[in-house]
Amino acid sequence: MQRLTPRDPSELGEVNRPPARPERDLPWLQPLLLLAPAGLWLLLLLVLPSLLLLELSLIPGFRLGQAPAAYGIGNYVTLLDPLYLRVVGRSLFYACGTTLLCLLLGFPVAYWITLLAPRRWRSLLLLGFVLPLWTSSLLRAYAWITILRPSGVLNSFLGWLHLPGQTWLNSTPAIFIGMTYSFLPYMVLILSATLEKLDRRLLEAAADLGAKPSQTFWQVTLPQTLPGIAAGGLLVFISALGDFVVPDLLGGSSSMTVSRLVYQQFLGATRNWGLASSLSVLLMVAVGAAIALLLRFGDRKSASF
Amino acid sequence: MVQSKVLGVSTTRRRFLTLAGVSASSLLLSNCARQMGGSSDRAKTPNNPAASGSDKSLAVYSWANYSDPALIESFKAKTGIQTTVDTYDSNETMLAKLQAGGGQNYSILFPSDYMATQMITLGLLQPLDLSKLAGLDQLMAQWKNPTYDPGNAHSIPATWGTTGFIYDPERLGFELKSWEDLFANQAKLGRKVTLINDVREVLGSVIKAQGHSLNTTDTAQVKAAYEKLAGFKPAIANFITNGWEDQLASGDILVSMAYSSDAQVLMSEQPNLTYVVPESGSSIWTDTIAIPKTAPNPEAAYTWMNFFLNPETSVDLVTRLRFATPNQATYAKLPKELQENRTLFPPDAVLAKCEGIAPLPDAATQIYDQYWTQLTSA
Repeated sequence: MQRLTPRDPSELGEVNRPPARPERDLPWLQPLLLLAPAGLWLLLLLVLPSLLLLELSLIPGFRLGQAPAAYGIGNYVTLLDPLYLRVVGRSLFYACGTTLLCLLLGFPVAYWITLLAPRRWRSLLLLGFVLPLWTSSLLRAYAWITILRPSGVLNSFLGWLHLPGQTWLNSTPAIFIGMTYSFLPYMVLILSATLEKLDRRLLEAAADLGAKPSQTFWQVTLPQTLPGIAAGGLLVFISALGDFVVPDLLGGSSSMTVSRLVYQQFLGATRNWGLASSLSVLLMVAVGAAIALLLRFGDRKSASF
Repeated sequence: MVQSKVLGVSTTRRRFLTLAGVSASSLLLSNCARQMGGSSDRAKTPNNPAASGSDKSLAVYSWANYSDPALIESFKAKTGIQTTVDTYDSNETMLAKLQAGGGQNYSILFPSDYMATQMITLGLLQPLDLSKLAGLDQLMAQWKNPTYDPGNAHSIPATWGTTGFIYDPERLGFELKSWEDLFANQAKLGRKVTLINDVREVLGSVIKAQGHSLNTTDTAQVKAAYEKLAGFKPAIANFITNGWEDQLASGDILVSMAYSSDAQVLMSEQPNLTYVVPESGSSIWTDTIAIPKTAPNPEAAYTWMNFFLNPETSVDLVTRLRFATPNQATYAKLPKELQENRTLFPPDAVLAKCEGIAPLPDAATQIYDQYWTQLTSA
């Protein structure tokens, strides 16, 4: 400090100011530049549309081409009608059921792939499991129609085995089959990421201490994979809640879900964009809550595969 | 207006809602196109002059089945106008796109009757200069002064049809003439009937079976029709407008409610199938050709309309794509096989019982929609 005082102030400015600038500005400029493209993308395509939906949802019975009514919560009051609550309930039922089925079917598969299958096959097996995701969900739903319809592939096979045929198409079982098939790969991927990190020394220790395999599984393996189960479950739940294709094509005459209702209100005879927006907001809030739970309880590392 | 501050622009509410519409519908539409298999013929034509608005280009927004590459070729050969065709799969999709400002390069639209009425009310269609159109006098009597657009002031009819049941009589095992026949044989039909995925068509048809107008605004009549259908639910496999064809052919579905235009396509391949309009009547629909107010090239649009009105130029198209023409002169030139096709051209006695679907006030539409939601969710 002593050396600085006798110097000319102008010299001080010349010497110190230019190098000070990048040092002082970079800490916020650099992340800003890095984040700007993605941030702009999110702002324009996610934040802004969501805010627009929120506004539309607050205009009771808004229809394009008509003078908008005053702001109000009329649309949300309409949603409390048992008519719409039942649709919301059905969506939750499908989503919960699918999550449970994915967990029951996905856990053994993930367990086998990561712990029991030969190590060198592991990546290939996982890849094989994810392969169906490479085709369009619409195509997969149509494939299920071909399989499940009364004269379809499954019944031909059952007939060949002299077993009674099924009539699942256009009913709830078909929805669960289609959605579980769609979302099982997510569950398996996340569970195997969690099982990969399983501390096997604990399993050996449990065996050494005389625990039966079933005891080891319930008391050692399962608790360690709980974060993965939570992450996988919520991811499947969120995807299933918003699914539109499977209920529409496989579900039959009683399969109205929230996402189908949103479509019906936007592009159906009523063109009630206000109600459709409030349904969308409801869906977003439900998904947002699920994501909040995921961040709180889930295994974040395995969720971000 | 918190959002406006967020945006940093002083938008008025109206403008903001327009913005809202644009972004909401573009999101929605892109999604629909992906999920519902929406298609575009744009790629098939070499240069895309849609936006240029020059005299020699015309952008058409149409149902998928009213144009084909041969039409675009012959239209260009006769008039020198290069056409691009985009397709939609529902009137409401087309309306939403137009209202959101995404349809400004189109000079020709194909709205159905009720949608034409609605678009006229919304001020989206140009009044036609009838002096520029030749051959309006050759239209069948029913379309000279249609209720959906009196005096054809904003639209000309392109094609029409009815709504009815398609089935294989041998497989079904009973004669199907009316809704009552279906209700009476419900036990034999467990999840083997598909109905059109359209609230007005389905509820309206049953309302007609009860002896009322399918444009009724009487809640009790709508409710009665809903209750009939709710009782019939065990027999209903699904509400689908398309996609029943394969399952009907294989016998997984016994009866499908369908538009006559779709029914006759399948029947031309499978002669064992029959199409019947319910005894009580159903809807008679018209798909029209209209020019939006925003049309960049109305002159070419009139040329397009005249191309459809002129029997010399339209007969090939109608024969090739097999749709019912409302033009008496074109009808006279059709091959006998098409003229005598009772699915395309039902007898007058059947037509007399049919009724066009008209737009209803919002309150009535809401009632239909609520019963429909109840029907499809219960």
